[in-house]
Amino acid sequence: MRVVIAEDSVLLREGLARLLAESGMEVAARVGNADALHHAVHRERPDVVVVDVRMPPTQTDEGARAAREIRERHPEVAILVLSQVVEAKHALELFSERPEGFGYLLKDRVLEVDDFLESVRRVANGGTAMDPEVVAQLFGRRRAPDPLEELTPREREVLGLMAEGFSNAGICKKLFLSPKTVETHVHSIFGKLGLPPAPDDHRRVLAVLAYLRQS
Amino acid sequence: MTALRLVLAAAGIALGVLAYRVQIDNLGPLTSSTQALAIVAVGWAFLGAGLIAWARRPGNRLGPLLTAAGFALLARQFRYSHDPLAFTVFFTLSELSYGLAAHSVLAYPSGHVRGRAEQLLVRVGYASVLVFPLAILLVYDGTERLRFMDPRPHENLLLVWENGSLAVTLQRIFVVWVWGVLASIFIALVLRRLVRATPRARRLLAPLCLAAVVFALRAVYEGIFAFVDRPSAVVDDVLFWWQIAGFMALPIALVAGMLRARLARANVGELVLELERTPPEGVRDALARALADPALEVGFWLPERLEYVDGRGRPLVLPGEDDDRAVTHLDHDGEPVAVIVHDASLVDEPELLLASGAAARLALENARLHADMRAQLLEVQESRVRIVQAADEERRRIERDLHDGAQQRLVALALQLRSAQRELGHTADPEVDRLLAEAVDELQVAVEELRELARGVHPAILTEDGLAAALESLTSRAPIPVALDVSEGRLPAQVEATAYFVACEALANVVKHAQASKATVSAHRRNGVLIVEVEDDGVGGAHAENGSGLRGLADRVEALGGRFVVESPTGGGTHVVGEIPCGS
Repeated sequence: MRVVIAEDSVLLREGLARLLAESGMEVAARVGNADALHHAVHRERPDVVVVDVRMPPTQTDEGARAAREIRERHPEVAILVLSQVVEAKHALELFSERPEGFGYLLKDRVLEVDDFLESVRRVANGGTAMDPEVVAQLFGRRRAPDPLEELTPREREVLGLMAEGFSNAGICKKLFLSPKTVETHVHSIFGKLGLPPAPDDHRRVLAVLAYLRQS
Repeated sequence: MTALRLVLAAAGIALGVLAYRVQIDNLGPLTSSTQALAIVAVGWAFLGAGLIAWARRPGNRLGPLLTAAGFALLARQFRYSHDPLAFTVFFTLSELSYGLAAHSVLAYPSGHVRGRAEQLLVRVGYASVLVFPLAILLVYDGTERLRFMDPRPHENLLLVWENGSLAVTLQRIFVVWVWGVLASIFIALVLRRLVRATPRARRLLAPLCLAAVVFALRAVYEGIFAFVDRPSAVVDDVLFWWQIAGFMALPIALVAGMLRARLARANVGELVLELERTPPEGVRDALARALADPALEVGFWLPERLEYVDGRGRPLVLPGEDDDRAVTHLDHDGEPVAVIVHDASLVDEPELLLASGAAARLALENARLHADMRAQLLEVQESRVRIVQAADEERRRIERDLHDGAQQRLVALALQLRSAQRELGHTADPEVDRLLAEAVDELQVAVEELRELARGVHPAILTEDGLAAALESLTSRAPIPVALDVSEGRLPAQVEATAYFVACEALANVVKHAQASKATVSAHRRNGVLIVEVEDDGVGGAHAENGSGLRGLADRVEALGGRFVVESPTGGGTHVVGEIPCGS
């Protein structure tokens, strides 16, 4: 698995590169700004790009813009965006109806190394990684009447993990539940929220996020 | 001067008596004693008006002008004399009275004729009324009867070529030219002046203009019917009294204008009394009433700023040279106190202006101090806004520094420690492994705290996406359900920031103190004001003064010229409203 890292803090960039290399990934390029990132993607055609939202010269949203451009020009390249702050609004804008091969995480999630590496692999394999903080924000939106109130605490947990991008197997592992129990929960959630059953994980994430974003 | 005017008055009365006699003696059945007396009365009216104007305004040319017109009108009657010298002299000068009368009208009220067309008309008019009678006399041999004259031939000392019919023709041309054409132009110019005048000047001009038009229309009638046979005796009578009425109205309208100025002087007396009980901000209104100029402005001199400001403390721009507005400076002991910016027509009544200014001086001095205070207040208000802006800018900078500096470094450091921990793996002393894990956890907590701190200082989403997105983010993080109702669209940065902090602080209070089950946040623009409201169903009892951070919010909102209200009855929930002016 080939990775390109775009991060302006050298210390963090090297730390990330080392982490990914140790886990068996090939770090094809490490860059510190958006221009260099575009060149690297064009040259290396990586499986996944890990990019910081804020980079020089303006330190505002160069990384986010670069991510959007790469998604348009190279749809086959997966992208994991890291940020010091996450906002549901920005997450939904970046997803733009296409959760395949996309992730949006708080930067300090890298410290939970195994979870982080799992997210990188999931995204690189066409999955989704949405930060729990974003999911919490989407849950925190006020709807009247609120169908989320109908869910049991366990069902809310499962819904959150679905929104983060976990598959049923992933949810089993996280919550120490049997596949059958998880399936029952998922079925119940879709029934209560009035969502049509989704055939695959991608469309499930999409359906859940679409449901949560409407307020 | 008074002696001169007394002599002139006496001479005018004597001349009037003689003029009456000349008419009765020479015109016989062509006139009546009433008609002869009416003509003398018009002459005296001009004379009287002229002498009054002269006495009231010694520096104004209008007085002498009207006096001269009175003398010319009386002297005009001596053309009926059959003494050759008297006839020659007074026939030549007979039409001068019309020129002087028209000149007076055009020169009212300053004594100067303003406008190029007006000046040209006066010059052409004077030339015409002097040249034509002279030309007629050069050929008038007494064989033909001239209009407006008695049938008995007059002996003429200027005769050089006997041609009676040419004399009659010249007189007809004169009537058409002066009474037809020039009088029409005169009417047009008078009406134009009335239309263009400022409302105040129009009120003063209207009576005189009406009189002037009545007077000149009579002349135009004569000009049109110059080639028609004389109408019947009845129409003749009507025409005579029309002429007398128009002529008489001119000095009367003029005296009326003067009396108005006198009445206005009475206003000055009232002004003095009124100003005693007028608050400083009412001085302008009182002056505007006394000088009958609603648009009047007063500027107060601020010595330390070397400029004039209006009653609200804003700099006052003085009008230029060619404006309808004029400026009168009021000084005290050589120091400027104030200026009055007023209708240019008031320049014609300088005594009135100065009397009003003198009457108002004490009140103006007082009002000046008031305006000075207002100006300083305005400066303080502006500096408050600048302080808020500077504080916002500083907050944004701190937020960026926290993210790009400390937070970034801590994450990198934690990652290094984590790598070290993994590198050592199972070979490590369990104690070292535990220490490293704890260090990473601590750093993670620190990063989390820094993130919250930065968000509290100035959330990045507020700068990047505006108030609506920032409030959305804020309310979705709240631990209780918060309904949000906010209109989209960007506003000036300090307005957005202030509204955000109102909502943020109020919501924090709801969570900390209100024991509420839910809350609503709304932000809407109405009539140039952004209204941000936070309402909860909690225990109430919050005060802007009790150090809950609400006082600081009130200061912030008020610094931007807004209003901050907290309604929080005990047990009745809390309702916080911030109204922030946001331009359009």
